[in-house]
Amino acid sequence: MRSIDSDLRGLEDQREVFVTNDQPFESPAKEFVPGPLYKNIEEVIPELAESQEIQDASAAKKLPVDRRDFMRLFSVSAALASTACVYRPVEKAVPYVEQPKDFVPGVANYYATTIDRVGVVVKTREGRPVFVEGNPEHPLSQGSPSIMAMSELQALFHPDRRVAPQIQYGTNRRGDANWDEVYDRLGVRLKDAKKVGFLVKGTTGHGVQFYKDFLKNIGQSEDNLYLYETNGIYNAISEAHRLAFGIDGIPRTDMRRTKLILGVGAEFLDEGVAPIFEQKSWSVGHTFRNGAKGRFVQFESRLTLTGGKADERHVIGPGDELAVTLAVVDSLLKRSEAKGTAAEKANIRAVVDAQRSLIDSTKQRLKLSDDLLNKLAGELLSRKSLVQVGESGAISPNGTLVQLAGIMANVLVGAYAERLQFFDQGWFKSPGRAGDIARFLNEGKTYDVLFVVNVDPAFTMPASSGIADILKGRSIISMQSMPCATDTYAEFALNTHNPLEAWGDEELVAGFWSLQQPTVRPVANSRQPEDILLWAAAKMGKPMGFEDYRSYLRDKWKLVYKESGINKDFETFFKAIQRKGFFVSQLSKRDMPAFGTVAERFQPLPLKSGMRLIAHLDSKLRDGYGADRPVLQEAGDGLTTITWDTWVAINPNKARELGVKYNDLVVVKGPGGSFEASIYPLPGLHYDTVAVPRGRGQKQGLSRITDGVGVDPLVALVAEVDPLSGDPVTSGQTVEIIKTGRRYRLAAMQKHNDIANRRDIMPVYPLAVAVANVRKEKDLDDVPDLYPSLAPKEGDLRSPNSYLFPDWKASTEYRWGMSIDLERCTGCGACTVACDLENNVPQIGREQVLIGREMHWIRVDRYFSGPVDNPEVSYQPVPCQHCNHAPCEAVCPVYATTHDQEGLNVQTYNRCVGTRYCANACPYKIRRFNWFTHKWNVMGDRPIDRNPRALNPDVTVRTRGIMEKCTLCVQRIREGKHNAKQQGRLVFDGEIRTACQVACPSDAITFGNLLDPNSRVAKNRKDYRAYLLLNGKPELGEYGLKTLPNVNYIAKVLHDGSEGIAAGDGHDRSGAPGPAGGHP
Amino acid sequence: MSEEVKWNKTISDVNDGILSNLGKPHPMFYAAWIASIICVIIGASTWAWEISVGIGITGKTSPVYWGVLITDFVFWVGIGHAGTLISAILFLFRAKWRNTVNRSAEAMTVFAVITAGLFPLIHVGRLWLALYWFPPLPNTNNIWPNFRSPLVWDLFAISTYLTISLLFWYMGLVPDLASIRDRVKGLKRLVYGVMCFGWRGTAKQWHHYEAGYGFLAALATPLVLSVHSIVSWDFAMSIQPGWHTTIFPPYFVAGAILSGCAMVYTLLIPVRKMFRMEEFIRPEHLEACIKLTLLTSTIVFYAYAVEFFVAWYSGNAYEWGVFEKRAIGPYAFYFWVMVFCNCIFPMIWWSKAMRNNVAVSLVVAVLINVGMWFERYNIIVSSLAEDFLPGSWGHFQPTWGDIGLTVGSFGWFSFWFLIFCRFFPIVSMSELKLIMPKPLSKKH
Repeated sequence: MRSIDSDLRGLEDQREVFVTNDQPFESPAKEFVPGPLYKNIEEVIPELAESQEIQDASAAKKLPVDRRDFMRLFSVSAALASTACVYRPVEKAVPYVEQPKDFVPGVANYYATTIDRVGVVVKTREGRPVFVEGNPEHPLSQGSPSIMAMSELQALFHPDRRVAPQIQYGTNRRGDANWDEVYDRLGVRLKDAKKVGFLVKGTTGHGVQFYKDFLKNIGQSEDNLYLYETNGIYNAISEAHRLAFGIDGIPRTDMRRTKLILGVGAEFLDEGVAPIFEQKSWSVGHTFRNGAKGRFVQFESRLTLTGGKADERHVIGPGDELAVTLAVVDSLLKRSEAKGTAAEKANIRAVVDAQRSLIDSTKQRLKLSDDLLNKLAGELLSRKSLVQVGESGAISPNGTLVQLAGIMANVLVGAYAERLQFFDQGWFKSPGRAGDIARFLNEGKTYDVLFVVNVDPAFTMPASSGIADILKGRSIISMQSMPCATDTYAEFALNTHNPLEAWGDEELVAGFWSLQQPTVRPVANSRQPEDILLWAAAKMGKPMGFEDYRSYLRDKWKLVYKESGINKDFETFFKAIQRKGFFVSQLSKRDMPAFGTVAERFQPLPLKSGMRLIAHLDSKLRDGYGADRPVLQEAGDGLTTITWDTWVAINPNKARELGVKYNDLVVVKGPGGSFEASIYPLPGLHYDTVAVPRGRGQKQGLSRITDGVGVDPLVALVAEVDPLSGDPVTSGQTVEIIKTGRRYRLAAMQKHNDIANRRDIMPVYPLAVAVANVRKEKDLDDVPDLYPSLAPKEGDLRSPNSYLFPDWKASTEYRWGMSIDLERCTGCGACTVACDLENNVPQIGREQVLIGREMHWIRVDRYFSGPVDNPEVSYQPVPCQHCNHAPCEAVCPVYATTHDQEGLNVQTYNRCVGTRYCANACPYKIRRFNWFTHKWNVMGDRPIDRNPRALNPDVTVRTRGIMEKCTLCVQRIREGKHNAKQQGRLVFDGEIRTACQVACPSDAITFGNLLDPNSRVAKNRKDYRAYLLLNGKPELGEYGLKTLPNVNYIAKVLHDGSEGIAAGDGHDRSGAPGPAGGHP
Repeated sequence: MSEEVKWNKTISDVNDGILSNLGKPHPMFYAAWIASIICVIIGASTWAWEISVGIGITGKTSPVYWGVLITDFVFWVGIGHAGTLISAILFLFRAKWRNTVNRSAEAMTVFAVITAGLFPLIHVGRLWLALYWFPPLPNTNNIWPNFRSPLVWDLFAISTYLTISLLFWYMGLVPDLASIRDRVKGLKRLVYGVMCFGWRGTAKQWHHYEAGYGFLAALATPLVLSVHSIVSWDFAMSIQPGWHTTIFPPYFVAGAILSGCAMVYTLLIPVRKMFRMEEFIRPEHLEACIKLTLLTSTIVFYAYAVEFFVAWYSGNAYEWGVFEKRAIGPYAFYFWVMVFCNCIFPMIWWSKAMRNNVAVSLVVAVLINVGMWFERYNIIVSSLAEDFLPGSWGHFQPTWGDIGLTVGSFGWFSFWFLIFCRFFPIVSMSELKLIMPKPLSKKH
């Protein structure tokens, strides 16, 4: 094992080159201890059941049965049969005769893989995945998994996953088949086919090459491969760069050192190019940290999570992104200090001049003053700044041109090379290909056999694009890990592997490879799509020479290996990659070309008038890929907190104008059709914006989770594509809102949206105050604890004169605490999803959420304050505060909730009788009660049993009548303490990470030991901005409720528009900055 | 009120009249009894539904973890209050008017407390755990109840109260049961004979009886104050705004007496009619009961005002937030129902004519019962719904489960009360005889 580690050292050095410029990424909190060598899943987890059946059978044969025994057995069985006619399932719980290699029951194994283009580490127990953690060493995930990657667990064990491939027999009926039959028939079908095409999920890895190879092998053109990626930003950005510079790729955005970001419709905190990476980089550069905070100015037409974190936000109309970006470019051009060569400036000026009337009319309409733009231009040029334009959630007809305008702005502010790393350190590869979708829609009908792999065009493409006609007339081979709408058109509906079961890879950044490998034996009789093709090709007599996709991948990785020049044999190399999950080969370097002539291609389409629909990707379900996962349906949207439904967001004042209220059911009538959904008046929207999330309204009968959930806004659209990127347009078409007079309640988790003038809940500090009060590391020892009597001291957790909370001997080694930085929280809700999955928190369905019974152990409160048209948005994740004077502990009549010696407020489930007094007494109202024995999903009349395999074996499943709440992941604490004890030491700071902390993409959550003065959480607690929720200001003699929590918050900093660096840069920064602190 | 009740009845008239309920009852009785049985069936099936499915069939949610069921609990405990007040405190103060109403008031107390006692069992949703936690059994694990928890205090308070009330009520019944025994034959005679413990009415027995009754009255008196004070601590001991106030104990006691007296009045009118007790339960007794109700109504009115004043005067945003919303927020309807029923409508009783108008007074008494139910609903629901963090705020909506259980509790109470009225003397004969004019002075 060690030797491979030393082999990898070389690889690590390269990673340093990749991620390091002058300041390293924040070091991962947890030293990831690699699991056993991953070889082959069969070796690690021998199939138990088979060998056991053999044992049972042989035992049965040898049974000596004579007459007397027979009579005994006969009479006993007759007696039993007459008394108990209940079928008792045969249970096999026989311990291993021989312990499998690398496998200790109860101890987790970790496998590095890549899911959802994020490097993750999958925690498996007894051969099945139980949690998806981020890969702390992976430069793009840096320890945080994406929400979609985490929730793959529920898809893997989904009760509605098909367990057999289906083939169309005869004209109408489709029936279950076995795989051999599938390969045979597929071989025949391919042999007969004249033209075979592939529509596959966008990927950056060797998958693309595989499909090309396959097409070539069966004598088809490579052009018959279409990559489909619903997030339109990839194609728009790469196409814009191709137009501007003549090169492919997407620059890697680095916000760690930017001092000013100008966003025009930017959505890097929602669905960016690389969401985790961008959120990490934003949180380093743009949250108050080391006495500095970068500024972020955003122009947007709908309120996004990104816009919610802007320091200054301007509301523009839908589709105005282009004109506003050009107006900024115009202002930049006027300044002499603008970067870029004279030729580039001339090219840019040509575009701006041609669009002068558009710019001027938009400026007039939006009342954008020249002062504002000039000031902005001045700031952009005087600081390290970056312009982020984007419409990742929804693409308008001018989507690519917006990106092009953004490139111009970035050229002028000189962002390339430094903040937009394109050439020195690799660029993002686009998973899609510009023009592919438009090409597919045009050419689709010429195929007689069409493979659709892991994408659902029947649902995710607007109906008006004619997708149904393409799918109807052809032999469709739909390869999906979950049943989807495309299956209904398919001749072959083949169930394929979940990402947790499949092989694959991604070249996320040019020259940077991430490997995807199975972490579990296939659980649902599924196959890898590529394997199906390989075996079908063999059946039709055109073998590709590979046994399976794994050997194909290994073959391709040999090329990567050769290029890397690693001085070891390939097997060692590949094993090391399997353990690490990624590999940096040669980071490509290219010369930066000059901005070219684009004026003649710059032909913006005119904006439509009136209210315009923005059908954007849902923050949790995206295009609907996550819709069948109850955890995502119930996590709710970050801004509206709505679960299990589609809403129509419009400006509250506009709603008043239209005479519609919250929950009023309206018809949204567009040029292509109409749909019905309820109104959600969302502050901060432009008056013409109608924002509706996609991903819901799926076809009935696909999954019990999606049935009856929401509507699909795409039905309102007419066919339209961005002429440059070829992506279907989902925003900007005029719609009409028609009242129906009916009401339909939206299941919003949060019922009250403003902070009710209770600023003490969420104090904010002006930047100047925060800067002036930065505490130096070396002074921290003198800073008293937030509550003086809470200062760690020998023995006592409590204040001395509190008779309700008697003193007892507390641990002198550990006191667990958590710190939540509100400055960093973006309201994405990853913590809630991770917590639900880690702690077996049940999802309860729309009807129960409507009553208000959602079970999340950590809820993210979202508050709007200020003007309705452009509010300030604040978030506050609230887990159990683990109070030292816990109101809940005093009132429980049966001691079901008590304090443990390490400061945790613990809940004893089997002692709880359900008086619920503790929940009433809790001022944070974060205790959760099991009103029913919740199934995996209770959708009113459609209960679905919770699949026990999808549960975390370390956490008890609670039945009805029991109170539960955040335990600070006590199972992880126990594991960490156990490991430390085995090695005769205390737990390292950062060794234990809670699920929410792991998931938080902006590292807002810190967990650790408060008794260790050097722990990050202890230091965070001494931050000037740290406060205890509802505990007043002890320094002013106000004690509030005096609950003295072990969880503290760090207040937001309000940017005053200044440099935002002030005295900060001059401070002494001895010691490595903590990753999650915002702490000096 | 004069020392002696003035009427022209003999002792045997008293026995005949009061025990007329043992004969063929009024048709109204059957109607009421069947109605109560139907209500019990509704309640029982709702409970069965809850036991099989879960407490989620009620409207309770986060953050309103207590709802209608605890409202019912406090309501019935409150109803149970007036009985002991009338029997014990008024006994000690020698208020003679109580002698015609105390028996039914005590019966009301006993049944109301039994009804109230059901609600914690229903409320936890898992009845089978009740035995696990109810008695503080020292077991091998040394797991005792948490004596810091007001719910444990409550358990002791209510069970003590029930025990004393039951003893007090039954002790008063003993001489009367003996009177019945003397009048009936066969099996009934045996049953009543056993129930009266062979009471003979000897001087020695009367001596012991009087002493014991006095002691029990003295024992029960502090309970009148303690029970509802402790019930109020279920709320006041938490830090919930709207609950965490020192005025709660006296406020709850006054409210309980108000609701209890109103309930006594509400019950007496139909009972008087059903069992033809007009001769014994006379307008002046009813008026005295109304005066006590009016007094407590003004105390409650004062308590409401003080609560609001303190919430405002404290300058505590959370405290004031709850009260502000109580008056003008989503629960304003319940609040104003409470104010009008408990404070405004009873004001009509300042007029003697209205006090003696049975129809009007019955309506007001029923309204007070409604108002007192809403008072508890207000305290519980509106305080919990919107407390500290606006992000956690929610809304409570009662469901059919809540309604079914509440209806069931009224049926359950009425069922037992009607059985009592049918088979036991509704008016305490022995006590009535004490305050009757001396037989010798009676003119024929």
